[in-house]
Amino acid sequence: MTWLHKTLLAAAFATTTTMAATAEGGKRELIIYTYDAFAADWGPAPGVKAEFEKVCDCELTFVTADSSIGALRKVQLEGEATPADIVLGLDTNIAEVARATGLFAEHGADLSALSVPIEWNDEVFAPFDYSYLAFVYNTEKLETVPGSFEELAALPEDVKIIIQDPRSSTPGLGLVLWVKQAYGERAGEIWRALAPRVLTVTKSWSDAYGLFLKGEAELVLSYTTSPAYHRIAESDQRFAAAMFAEGHHLQVEVAAIVKSTDQPELARQFMAFMLTDAFQDIIPTTNWTYPAIETANGLPEGFDPPVAADKALIMDGADVEANRKAWIEEWRAALSQ
Amino acid sequence: MTVRPIRIHASVLPGIAVAAMLLLLAAALLAELAVRATGLTLAFDRELARIVAFTTMQAALSTVLSLVVGIALAWSLAHQQRFPGRGLLIAMFSAALVLPTLIVVLGLVSVLGRSGWAGDLYNAVTGRSPGFSIYGLSGILIAHTYLNASFVVRTLVNRLEAVPPENRKLAHGLGLSAWRRFRLVDWPACAPSVRGLAVTIFLLCFTSFAIVLVLGGSPRYNTLEVAIYEAVRFEFDLGRALALALVQLAVCAALVAFVGGLRATGRSIHGAATMFAHLQGPAVNRLQRTIIIAAAIAFALPLIATLIDGSRAEFSRLLAEPVFARAALTSVLIAIVSAAIVVTGSVAMALTRRQFTLANRWADARGSPLAALAMSYSASLYLVFPALVLGLGFFLLARRLGGPADLWAVAALITANVTLALPFAVAVLVPTAERAAARYDRLAVSLGLAWSTRWRAIEWPLMRADIGYVAALALCLSLGDLGVIALFGTQDFTTLPWLMYQKIGAYRTADAAGVALILLSLVLATFIFVPRLFSGARHAAP
Repeated sequence: MTWLHKTLLAAAFATTTTMAATAEGGKRELIIYTYDAFAADWGPAPGVKAEFEKVCDCELTFVTADSSIGALRKVQLEGEATPADIVLGLDTNIAEVARATGLFAEHGADLSALSVPIEWNDEVFAPFDYSYLAFVYNTEKLETVPGSFEELAALPEDVKIIIQDPRSSTPGLGLVLWVKQAYGERAGEIWRALAPRVLTVTKSWSDAYGLFLKGEAELVLSYTTSPAYHRIAESDQRFAAAMFAEGHHLQVEVAAIVKSTDQPELARQFMAFMLTDAFQDIIPTTNWTYPAIETANGLPEGFDPPVAADKALIMDGADVEANRKAWIEEWRAALSQ
Repeated sequence: MTVRPIRIHASVLPGIAVAAMLLLLAAALLAELAVRATGLTLAFDRELARIVAFTTMQAALSTVLSLVVGIALAWSLAHQQRFPGRGLLIAMFSAALVLPTLIVVLGLVSVLGRSGWAGDLYNAVTGRSPGFSIYGLSGILIAHTYLNASFVVRTLVNRLEAVPPENRKLAHGLGLSAWRRFRLVDWPACAPSVRGLAVTIFLLCFTSFAIVLVLGGSPRYNTLEVAIYEAVRFEFDLGRALALALVQLAVCAALVAFVGGLRATGRSIHGAATMFAHLQGPAVNRLQRTIIIAAAIAFALPLIATLIDGSRAEFSRLLAEPVFARAALTSVLIAIVSAAIVVTGSVAMALTRRQFTLANRWADARGSPLAALAMSYSASLYLVFPALVLGLGFFLLARRLGGPADLWAVAALITANVTLALPFAVAVLVPTAERAAARYDRLAVSLGLAWSTRWRAIEWPLMRADIGYVAALALCLSLGDLGVIALFGTQDFTTLPWLMYQKIGAYRTADAAGVALILLSLVLATFIFVPRLFSGARHAAP
């Protein structure tokens, strides 16, 4: 069990892990860092790669991290030497952190076609999809559907919700921000009222949704688009998202060009391509989110229209960064009573 | 026993090399973080003190429960050699420990959850809803006991079977009560292993993360790992992550030092599993069978739930997916390599460590207690080495030293697997190795056996059953959680547990349950067949 021993073994394995590190036939290569689910076989990446390679005379390579935050941290750790040309999948809550690293360049794309619920003219981060947080429930099991956080808190004793931990999960953090934005100073009070409803707090979205599908809780923190997956992919009509009067936390996913890219032209070409129908039509039924432009084909059947723009709650990234710790502490204290 | 065992000097080298490598690696990984961090940032606030206090309490309770359940069950199984399906039961008890935690949690929830079988049954019988909830401290303890008692069972059954039949005959002949027989015959056989088991289980529960969150029910229940996660991911405060990791390592060091002075009892060991169920009173036999049946039901139900959930998957499509074949192949290859390293490393460590603890060897030499402690610590420390820090450290090390990223990713993954399984392997093998030496050293030295002859004649026959178990354990623990190599960005590289998490993360719960079923079958098959490969001459000890 020496290092040499290990290295030899590793070499034996390398054949099974060969990646498209070098482009075939001297073609230019564009490397995009993204999160796991985007690059999965069933995610948007395979379709995006096929469509972009039709028009770019290049090779598109996706490199995955466990999450979009992980992708950002990877670029940060690699610094100037990073092979990444683009980072794709950051959400608005982490984008300010990414901007502050100074690692990203202007995208140069025309944003006029954008159709996201908020005004967008960021020169570094370009959106490619968006989604809303919501509590998802089984229509056959939940009798009274709550229309607000206060109604959720007032549900009968035996109705339970599953949420995610803001310290380890993106939707978990989104929920803390959602309550904060809807209730401001009253957020702590709302959390104390919700506490008896909370069955458990999980590390990740997957753990929470898995328990929910097992019937452990009546509602789970997820996305307004979750029921569309069950309808379209499984022909299962039972699930729905509870619509709240306060509005819904909006999560916009963005991409940005890495400053140190050796393919600046190609990277800008991709950013422009990202806002065309070819890319955007892939998004709804692979990423289960809303496309960032209105495509000619529109939303697939079974997809609910997005929440009205005036109900979109989104917080300035700088505010999130400045207050995140205090707000998570408020959440923790209220739920630990 | 004052034989000067001149011949055994060289045997300490491999074990010392392994231990030194483990300690150096840990130091190198932490140093990489220290270089990148701007300094240790740790506020010893009330929250941190509260986390450490709760975690210690939770881990201590979990350890006691696991030991009590495990010892009762091992005692029953060892005495009921002819219990139908005994081999399958022992394999099943071993499976719990090595399954991905999410499978275990979902399995337990199927039985004890809000819409679980136990609640339904209670409701059908009494017409009331049960007041019990698996969410809270009770859920954490149940899950930890479920995972760890199985490890206790498998380890102690071997110890109990090794009690010489003449001791048992004597105890029966003297007409000792069942309790006195347990105190005088069974307990001394278990005792040397119990302390090692207790440390391993405590450390495992101390760092338990997903279970504490998902079954804890409230952020009131928390662990240091959550804080490390937050520091690395959201804050990117490597100094804080490093400081928290050091707190965890310090707790581990204190604990290992506290119970680390393990001394072999010098009792003889014997390979024969001769039990005298007919000599026991009918009440004791009944008690033992009741314990086995109750435990069999409690341990089997969550696994049965996993099988039922999984059987609904569309296997024809799932198995045909190229990603499935890739994941299965990678998992198996990685597991085989990792297990080979674990077996080699743990045997070397066990054979070396006994040198410093046995009265007839160097136990009285100055420095021996420290050497034994360092060896225990080198293996145990990885139980509390946060996976995130391990992955981050490897990534930084890879960037400093250069070379293909893929190779480093594989090295990191194998290292993570090896260091995960090694503490269990060492806990299993150390007592066996010590007792082999205690009994046969004098004979071996007087015969002037060369080490290779001695290994074939003494250690191998006595240790092969345990080595078979260690191999099975290492294989299953190494099927692969890829969290540790997430930073390397190797998207074509996937394993079965990772595929399962990916499927759940993409709403594909039926597929995920199918993968869970395949994993469970693989694990059970490993625990049934791999130990058989090693057990050929199990009873042929001299």
